[in-house]
Amino acid sequence: MKTVLINCSPKKRFCASQYFLFLQKLFTGGKKVSEKLRNQADHARILDQLKDAQTVVFCLPLYVDGVPSHVLRFMEEMETFCRQNDIHLNVYCIANNGFIEGRQNEPLMQIIENFCSRAGLIWGGGVGIGGGVMLNVTRIVFEIQIGLLVLNTVLSVIQTGVLFPKDLWIDFGENALTLLFFNLGALFYFALMGAAIRKGSYLGKKYTRILIPSFIFILFADIFFIIISLFEGGIFRGWLAKKEPAN
Amino acid sequence: MVKNEKVILYDVDRQYDDMIASKCDHALAADGKYAHCQGCFGCWTKHPAECFMKDKLQQVCRIIGQANELVIVTENLYGGYSAAVKNVLDRAIGSSTPFSTYRGKQMHHTLRYGKHDLLKVVVYGDITEAEKNTFRYLVERNAINEGHARSEVVFIEDLAELEGVL
Ligand SMILES: Cc1cc2nc3c(=O)[nH]c(=O)nc-3n(C[C@H](O)[C@H](O)[C@H](O)COP(=O)(O)O)c2cc1C
Repeated sequence: MKTVLINCSPKKRFCASQYFLFLQKLFTGGKKVSEKLRNQADHARILDQLKDAQTVVFCLPLYVDGVPSHVLRFMEEMETFCRQNDIHLNVYCIANNGFIEGRQNEPLMQIIENFCSRAGLIWGGGVGIGGGVMLNVTRIVFEIQIGLLVLNTVLSVIQTGVLFPKDLWIDFGENALTLLFFNLGALFYFALMGAAIRKGSYLGKKYTRILIPSFIFILFADIFFIIISLFEGGIFRGWLAKKEPAN
Repeated sequence: MVKNEKVILYDVDRQYDDMIASKCDHALAADGKYAHCQGCFGCWTKHPAECFMKDKLQQVCRIIGQANELVIVTENLYGGYSAAVKNVLDRAIGSSTPFSTYRGKQMHHTLRYGKHDLLKVVVYGDITEAEKNTFRYLVERNAINEGHARSEVVFIEDLAELEGVL
């Protein structure tokens, strides 16, 4: 059984869709092929992968309450391709959005479902994840923590000869569990989707989010954009100004 | 600042250009030849209200953001906007700011140019009942997301009806 998982984020690096695709693969059996859809040049290669596949999983960001335009272009081509080649795949979807409510992905889910009807594909449902950017940040923080753990372990061996300094590992464990907790909703549904993919069954539309209270999330989101805008300089270039068109 | 009272974003053939231009303060043709959004958020964090890609859509958020009435003419695609129209909308998120707020009991971004009045979407092309329902829902969601007080979806069977509904 072959599953093609398509990361549809247009970003080159640090995309949330890539993180969720990685997690979904942990829960998916059989042959797995990961693809990246960033522009037209990727279409032919991905369509070729679909020929002998049973399942396709779209991992995509929510853009303006819907599907990003470059993904729509791919879907149009895929519709024609599947009809011409009599391909009837099972289609699942992992959508993530910036805001905290995963339910904001509902219009996107419906659009993918309507696409399946038009293309003669079998809609298997999907997971909509709120706070995708922030969950992706938890991954980056986790990677930094592993780096620090390794560094501190090496320092500990050099300075005291102890390979497993207890406090360091307890700290690491606590932090890792906290980060894991934030991700639990998404992980639960990835497990369900893995089972649905294996059986070729209907998962339904499931919505979840980063597991933190909304008011803390909004605070973090604002701080996040302030820091990035400071680094990138936008804050000093009329950050919130009502700018007029140049012509 | 003078707001554009009425902006029309459309994907129909160029033969409608003059008619559409006569119906609004600013006409935006979505011809499908533009680059798509790269998801970098630079229009919030680096060069506010401007895209790093130097094409006709570079400052489109400033026009859409100032529209008191935004009318979108689009072909149906799976119950949503055509790729050409969606391309423009994706490139226009600089019309909001990176700050978050609550609208309609859910999280959204604050609006760079303040609230708007009407969001009207005129849909043409082959469409199923399920797709019509999706479209109505999508436009409702867009109106909240972009800060429109009212929204309306009109389905037309033939482009001959277009002039009458603009
Ligand atoms: C053009 C654009 C439009 C967006 N529109 C929405 C939106 O309507 N609602 C939302 O919650 N997030 C929205 N987002 C945020 C993305 O969904 C979020 O950043 C997501 O995590 C990106 O996933 P990726 O890293 O896989 O590309 C938008 C982002 C961009 C760039």
